[in-house]
Amino acid sequence: MSDGGLLHGLIFDYTLRTVAMGAGALGAVAGALGCFAVLRRQSLLGDAISHAALPGIGLAFLFTGSRATPVLVLGAALAGWVGTLFVLGIVRHSRIPEDSALGIILSVFFGIGLVILTYVQRQPTAAQAGLDTFLFGQAATLMTGDVLLIVGVGMGALLLLALFWKEFKLLSFDREFGRSLGFEMTRIDILLTTLLVVGIVLGLQTVGVVLMSAMVVAPAAAARQWTDSLSLMVVLAGVLGGVAGVVGAMISATGSGIPTGPTIVLAASAFVAISLLVAPNRGLLAGGLRRARVRRNVRVDAVLGDLYALALQHGDPVGQPHDQGALEVMADGRTGVVRSLEVLSEKGLAQQIGSNGWALTEAGVRRAQTLYDPLVEAADAEDPLPGGGEGVS
Amino acid sequence: MMPPSAATGSSPSSSPAVEVNDLTVAYREKPVLWDVDLTVRSGALTAIVGPNGAGKTTLIKAILGMVPVAAGHVRILGRSLKESRGAVAYVPQRGSVDWDFPTSVEDVVLMGTYARLGWIRRPGAEERKAAGRALEKVGMDAFSDRQISQLSGGQQQRVFLARALVQEARIYLMDEPFQGVDARTERAIVDVLRELRSRGDTVVCVHHALQTVPEYFDDVALLNVRKIVSGPVSRVFTEENLRLAYGGRVPFLQGLMSGAVGAAEEGRTT
Repeated sequence: MSDGGLLHGLIFDYTLRTVAMGAGALGAVAGALGCFAVLRRQSLLGDAISHAALPGIGLAFLFTGSRATPVLVLGAALAGWVGTLFVLGIVRHSRIPEDSALGIILSVFFGIGLVILTYVQRQPTAAQAGLDTFLFGQAATLMTGDVLLIVGVGMGALLLLALFWKEFKLLSFDREFGRSLGFEMTRIDILLTTLLVVGIVLGLQTVGVVLMSAMVVAPAAAARQWTDSLSLMVVLAGVLGGVAGVVGAMISATGSGIPTGPTIVLAASAFVAISLLVAPNRGLLAGGLRRARVRRNVRVDAVLGDLYALALQHGDPVGQPHDQGALEVMADGRTGVVRSLEVLSEKGLAQQIGSNGWALTEAGVRRAQTLYDPLVEAADAEDPLPGGGEGVS
Repeated sequence: MMPPSAATGSSPSSSPAVEVNDLTVAYREKPVLWDVDLTVRSGALTAIVGPNGAGKTTLIKAILGMVPVAAGHVRILGRSLKESRGAVAYVPQRGSVDWDFPTSVEDVVLMGTYARLGWIRRPGAEERKAAGRALEKVGMDAFSDRQISQLSGGQQQRVFLARALVQEARIYLMDEPFQGVDARTERAIVDVLRELRSRGDTVVCVHHALQTVPEYFDDVALLNVRKIVSGPVSRVFTEENLRLAYGGRVPFLQGLMSGAVGAAEEGRTT
């Protein structure tokens, strides 16, 4: 289907619209809540919760015989929550570190979940058909009721997030300080973790237990690249998660046969990759440019210092040229002397005299004085020469 | 600006700021604090000094009710911690939080107002004004909108101090506020401590730099799992007591102590 077709479908195709809405809503909720998991360095917790939810789905079906989404989601939430409690319990009462506890719970619960699911699949009735879509997600199975559930419960979770915003920020930044204020931080922690569980189980039908944690981590990680404000980060992560949900669900739902989980996660990962690369300040490109600029400035200042050193040494008047060869010797392996001289000349700090001679301008002398005179004073007793003139003695 | 009686729990001057009785704290079997008695004088600057692993941080946390206590009890301004919670401000170690957290200087300082606000309510204009005043006191008012990852270590420490000041407490418990800060921050902290004292407030600092104890503090408590001694610096901050607290590591002491206890020794011999 062409892009125009997809857009057309999004507007006019009822099924596609339903699917896109559900996926968008779950992406937004998971993305917003995921910020706190990421900032608290609990990214793996999302993975453990989603995997731990699997036996809950199977058991909910076994006990009720129903495949209704609210029933399965409730089962998933309970199991995910129990798994989380196990992790916290193990960390508190044993010497097993948190990452190991998460790994243990994740694999044990997921294993149990697979066993139950396999057992359920062997049942003679046809009612169980499609339960295995919970592994990798299938947005095409979303019904209007499912979407309403996702939107309704998701809005509730976001509302609570807004309501307890201050408490969640306190918990995430400085839990101990929060305790000293008299806040019951354990309660705040349980509330926030419960919201995370809710956000995760809402997405299981669409994204699947295996990849759901990416919807928690990826939008938050991408959003963090763009902003230093927590509120902006949460909003942005919600938007990115929502867009990833819509895009991924549509690619999956339009007959490609690919499960929805992977397509949504690929979309979210693309956001992460782009953000890592091009975000201002925190992006890799910006960082590389910054480092290159610093390196160049250091080289230019060093040449300026060398010229200043020569001038001081010879008691020069301003404008007395020195041989470029001398500067290259003084550079002592430092590269880019010629380029640095050109930069100095462009800035009006030095001028070329003759074919090979370079001299500081008055502006250059002033700049060198502000840069190097403090250093000279500091090191006066031992070394009367400016610090920039490495190799001069 | 901040009247000394602004905080709750203003008490008869007879009760000490903090009173610790028979306090024992153990993580697993090994005691971290053993049978510690400590009385912190109201309106004084007190240093808690001792070797690594002496339980200094644990003592602060136990006073704040943040670690499970095996035995003993703590009274603050003559009452239980719960009753005088609002009178106590805590400055944790700077390294205990992630300074890359996406938030601003003002936001961090505003956290000091959260206890007053209670659940759900957000800080408003009044709280922002108080945060601005606290930042001014530590010379950080120009940094209010700055992202906290852009701060130097000393600036981070001053932000933490401002966050405690905004609580308008009577007792300030600080965990190594002077650890690894620049000279300017050190002066700023000392100024704030003295201002707090002049208002009649009490400050307890876990402190590492022995040589500055006589200059900065009125009282000192030497701790090494057990309390070795506590009282006015001029009386108890002696080389002999430090030897008791620091055990065999005397060479390390001699370097530090030569000029340091000078003042205290003088006080003792004359």
